[in-house]
Amino acid sequence: MRRLAVVTSLIVAALALASTAVRDDAQAAAVVVPPDPSALDAAQLVSNACSKCHGFNGVSTSPLFPILAGQVPGYIESELRLFRQRGRSDPHARAFMWGIARALTDEQIKGVARYFSTQPAVTGKGSSNPALADKGKLLYENGTPERDIEACTVCHGHNGEGVNSQPRIAGQHRDYFVLEMVQFRSGLRENKVMQHVTEKMTDDEIAALVEYISTK
Amino acid sequence: MLVSTPAQAVPPFARQTGLACEACHTIPPELTSFGRRFKLNGYTLTTRPPLVSDTDDHKKNTVWLSDLPGLGILFQATYNHYNRAPPDSAVPGATAQSENLEFPQQFSLIAAGAISDQVGGFLQMTYDQPSGTFGVDNTEIRYVNHTENSDWLWGVMFNNNPGNQDVWNSVAAYPTLDFSNQSLWSAGGAGGAALSSPFFEGLGGLTAGPTAYIWYKDSLYLGVSAYHAAVSGSVTSTLDSTNLSAGGGTLEGWAPYWRAAYEHDWGYNSASIGVSGMASKFTPSLIAGQTLDPGYVNHYRDMSYDWQYQYNGQHNIFSFLGRYTHENAEYDPGLVPAFYSNSINHLDEWNVTGTYYYNRHYGALVNFVRTTGTADVALNGGNGSPGYQYEVLELDYLPWLNVRLIMQYNIYNVVKNNQNPFFLLNATNPRASNNNTFVFGLWMDF
Repeated sequence: MRRLAVVTSLIVAALALASTAVRDDAQAAAVVVPPDPSALDAAQLVSNACSKCHGFNGVSTSPLFPILAGQVPGYIESELRLFRQRGRSDPHARAFMWGIARALTDEQIKGVARYFSTQPAVTGKGSSNPALADKGKLLYENGTPERDIEACTVCHGHNGEGVNSQPRIAGQHRDYFVLEMVQFRSGLRENKVMQHVTEKMTDDEIAALVEYISTK
Repeated sequence: MLVSTPAQAVPPFARQTGLACEACHTIPPELTSFGRRFKLNGYTLTTRPPLVSDTDDHKKNTVWLSDLPGLGILFQATYNHYNRAPPDSAVPGATAQSENLEFPQQFSLIAAGAISDQVGGFLQMTYDQPSGTFGVDNTEIRYVNHTENSDWLWGVMFNNNPGNQDVWNSVAAYPTLDFSNQSLWSAGGAGGAALSSPFFEGLGGLTAGPTAYIWYKDSLYLGVSAYHAAVSGSVTSTLDSTNLSAGGGTLEGWAPYWRAAYEHDWGYNSASIGVSGMASKFTPSLIAGQTLDPGYVNHYRDMSYDWQYQYNGQHNIFSFLGRYTHENAEYDPGLVPAFYSNSINHLDEWNVTGTYYYNRHYGALVNFVRTTGTADVALNGGNGSPGYQYEVLELDYLPWLNVRLIMQYNIYNVVKNNQNPFFLLNATNPRASNNNTFVFGLWMDF
């Protein structure tokens, strides 16, 4: 058994060393901070709270949480304000962000938005279904006027990079993207524009869109 | 008093952070990746402004108090129906009732949360219905700090249950079952020795000690601890071990405990492997008038290898976790062969659990436990085997995340010798299946 223990320990140590090569993204400063949330600056907030789900550099591991790296700052600000006033009540907003955002100051919101928006944006991992991606491209760029579905480019830009305070969607987790679209459609996530755009959209069209977005 | 169930979900932490249960738990008590980091960081994350705070000339906090203390309540009730009416230990040959209803089975008061910017704690006081006692349950205090680049986190802490400081549910001190082993043994039933389990699994609440740990790049955990008997003095009052059929005893000096684990997260997935161990010296109270110094000393060396895989998806959550533990028990020559037939015994335990939940409302759990070991007639009676095997099948319904209804069936395939309470009714061939138990349970915290 002692030999087995040694072997296991070596495996653990080897995996740890290997991990250093792939986890160099943990760059944000971690600081000893008072637990008074209103006293934290943006870097401290990211280190102590945001990074636990969204990653230090805004690239989340789990698709439960959106990628924030390179996100449009105005969008992050508006969503954080919505969370703070409980104006967004989709399940994840309630479970996670109502609590996290409840004591944020305007200054902190701006600082966090600045932090994540200046992290290097990630791009999609590509599509394994080019035909579906092409169908999504058509829908993304042109919408379906006869069914009153507007083109996505109007708000999200030609490459999903976001416009003004409308969010960047390029590079986003596929599962997260689909979930949000479905929740806009059902009204679970309140947003009049997105509800209008998605209410006539089929599951197949959402699948086509996410296929196209994954190429961006 | 023995430490009972794990802390489960902790409402004070939810009040402190504003986060719902699912942030830290897939389904309580199993921790998510975020929950593990919250615990390793000493429970200090808060989004609640302090009511009282002060700093010194260097802007370092001198006091921080929340407007509300972090309090919570945990409540468990259970109905057990045994496959066969158990023997009444007070009246030889007679049987007791085959059902019991415990309301509550367990009732805990929990005080937990950030104490300062780098110190957090958890204190659980529990009323235990079968024993009728109210006492200190799992307790810990942590101090945590980081390096500047956050790659290294380190902490020092005190607790009273070896292994409960862990963050993976695959270790023995952090089980996955809410109503584990609802058999005659845990329900205060009659007769029978306790089921043989590795020595270090029975020390909760009876020991205390410091731990130092590091957490490297959100992946590697290394921790070392040393545990001491909680009370010094009489060998009979210090450590009422249920691991020895012969009764109580006490830990001798300090018992080192160590832990290494590695976690990797990707997508909705999280996987970990780990190893933990403890070396204990123990003086059993087998001889009347026995003194501690000089005393008879047994040596236990436990080594456990565990793994955990989690899929924490949007609708589907499942996990597969378990451990294999090997124990080497070396007995004092002065106690062999009067109390132990062999000078060295081995014990091997497998404990494997699989769970599935849909939308955090509906779930199922399967738990398999198998223990084998060296036959020791003096210790275990009969043919001496300490072996047993059982499975737990469970269905769960959570109308709310903090309210859980459980229907469980415990199936016993093997229970040997004096570990089987029914040996009092049938000394030559007690049937393992007599111990099969149907359980209906209610668990909630608020």
